[in-house]
Amino acid sequence: MDLTEARVAGGGGKSEGPATENVDWYSLALHYSKYYAGKVDIIPKVPITGLRDFSYWYTPGVAAVSLAINKNKDLSFELTGRWNTIAVVGDGSRVLGLGNIGAEAALPVLEGKALIFKYLGGVNAIPLPLSTQNQEVIEQTVCSLEAAFGGINLEDIESPKCFSILDNLRNKMKIPVWHDDQQGTAGVNLAALINALKLTGKKPNDVKIVLFGAGAANLAAARLFITAGFDARKMILVDRKGTLHAEREDLDQLMLKHPLKYEMALKTNAEKVKGGLAEALKGADVLIAASTPGPGVIKKEWIREMEKDPIVFVEANPVPEIWPWELKEVGVKIIATGRSDFPNQVNNSLMFPAVFRGALDSRSKTITDTMVIAAAQELAKFAQEKGLREDYIIPTMEEWEAYPRVAAALAEQAVKEGVARRVATKSQFLDEATEITRNARLAVETAMKTGVIKPLPKV
Amino acid sequence: MSKEKKVSIRQAQKSDVEKLAALVVRLKKLNEEFDPLLKVRSDAYEVALKDYDEILTREDYLVLVCEYNSEVVGVLRAHVRERRYYEPRIEGVIEDFYIMPEHRRKRLGREMVKIASEELKKRGAGLIVAEFPFQNKIASDFYQKLGFRAVIGIFGREE
Repeated sequence: MDLTEARVAGGGGKSEGPATENVDWYSLALHYSKYYAGKVDIIPKVPITGLRDFSYWYTPGVAAVSLAINKNKDLSFELTGRWNTIAVVGDGSRVLGLGNIGAEAALPVLEGKALIFKYLGGVNAIPLPLSTQNQEVIEQTVCSLEAAFGGINLEDIESPKCFSILDNLRNKMKIPVWHDDQQGTAGVNLAALINALKLTGKKPNDVKIVLFGAGAANLAAARLFITAGFDARKMILVDRKGTLHAEREDLDQLMLKHPLKYEMALKTNAEKVKGGLAEALKGADVLIAASTPGPGVIKKEWIREMEKDPIVFVEANPVPEIWPWELKEVGVKIIATGRSDFPNQVNNSLMFPAVFRGALDSRSKTITDTMVIAAAQELAKFAQEKGLREDYIIPTMEEWEAYPRVAAALAEQAVKEGVARRVATKSQFLDEATEITRNARLAVETAMKTGVIKPLPKV
Repeated sequence: MSKEKKVSIRQAQKSDVEKLAALVVRLKKLNEEFDPLLKVRSDAYEVALKDYDEILTREDYLVLVCEYNSEVVGVLRAHVRERRYYEPRIEGVIEDFYIMPEHRRKRLGREMVKIASEELKKRGAGLIVAEFPFQNKIASDFYQKLGFRAVIGIFGREE
């Protein structure tokens, strides 16, 4: 493979900005991917000492297990690995910031996701890119996977198709279906926002929130914020055409092609503020940007027009819409980005492994928005207990204890809402989730120590 | 002090023409979504201004507006036409009908069709028909709920 070509196609791949390491992640990824040829593996979880063992793990004994499940399908969650296995399904239509690059090209990303699912959540996740981008075929295919899995994680599917696929599958399937670009991002944003408001003394139903970018992430965030009690009328979504409002010219088009965006246009921006981001930001308390990579996408002068002690999350990757230090210069109180090399990283990875851990442990039939809110509140609480600071409003990915906590909170909410197949207390869920996630990390450590996982090769 | 929200449906006046034209252009742009043969002309607004200015003076047209807090948020235009071969001999044809998105699902449309039908009946119409793009399922569902059924279809082919 020509590494140079891949670098150019990917736009460089070096971290940018003064605060960052100067590492060529693109070259490393290619080099390591070639060496390991895949990031996750399936290994046995039962003892095998000789051929005899297969008489119960496989035929003839396994027939009894099949017959038991035949009588009660839900036993497949007890007698097989279904309870802890999910599919990470994509169609390659919107992969990272790379656009429509196809199913095969989506596979490395889905594998990476599966790796994080296992390492941080103890979840067995099977990467499953589909060789179709047809909505109906995707839905049919995913539906027919139901028997094998305890949940479905949709990944990198383009907007607006992703909204109706998620809604349809959520209605049709009796296992949780999750679209991380929507719900995961929304959940982490909510957690970060709860704490940012706490630090600045602003009230959820009082704040004026501007969401810049009206793609999957921000539309889902708006929807989740509304469910969480934020005032929809004081929210303004801004996209390439300007502020979203009930009189915008393209509203009928949205009604036909993008129902969620249409719904948000009617529910939000009660004052019908027209214009662009500059106009929307006048008097706003919070800005959440998930638009196009910066810098220079958002201007300092616009930020100056915000209320006192503004909260700004700039989440475009690899470069935020405006550099954090520029935000500091104009008096922004709380800043978060999507990057790990700045404080306050708003990252889906804080949410999805824990969400599925909780959903799987409770054998949940779905993941409702209120379950996501419970998870976000717990994530926020974890940071509160550690001590909130302007540069610490949300845990980092390294604080692994946060994951079982969030899992248990979500599982408890599933039980409360009657969508759990398995009822347990929050502390039982916490103990189980802690053990499973600890074991997942222990397995990796052990495999590394014994050489089953080889050390990183020299570059 | 909160303002009282007031809805009223009345016949259009000359002073409404600009607002009517804007609503009608929105309607035509919605129609455009259903078929490329309904691509809206660049001078649609000017055409609508002239058109509505003229029909407001004509007896064979009925133009209703829906007002919400004194703001025009909906329009219904109907034409009284003679049917040369069929009974009943006079029909009221709803040609343009549009309500702003935020005022939908409040039964205003239903009310406007009801008032229009009564007025058209007074002008001799023995049936009411409505024209809209074939693929507009929302319109088709709306009229079917009100007891309308498909009577005539217009098929097109680009040459």
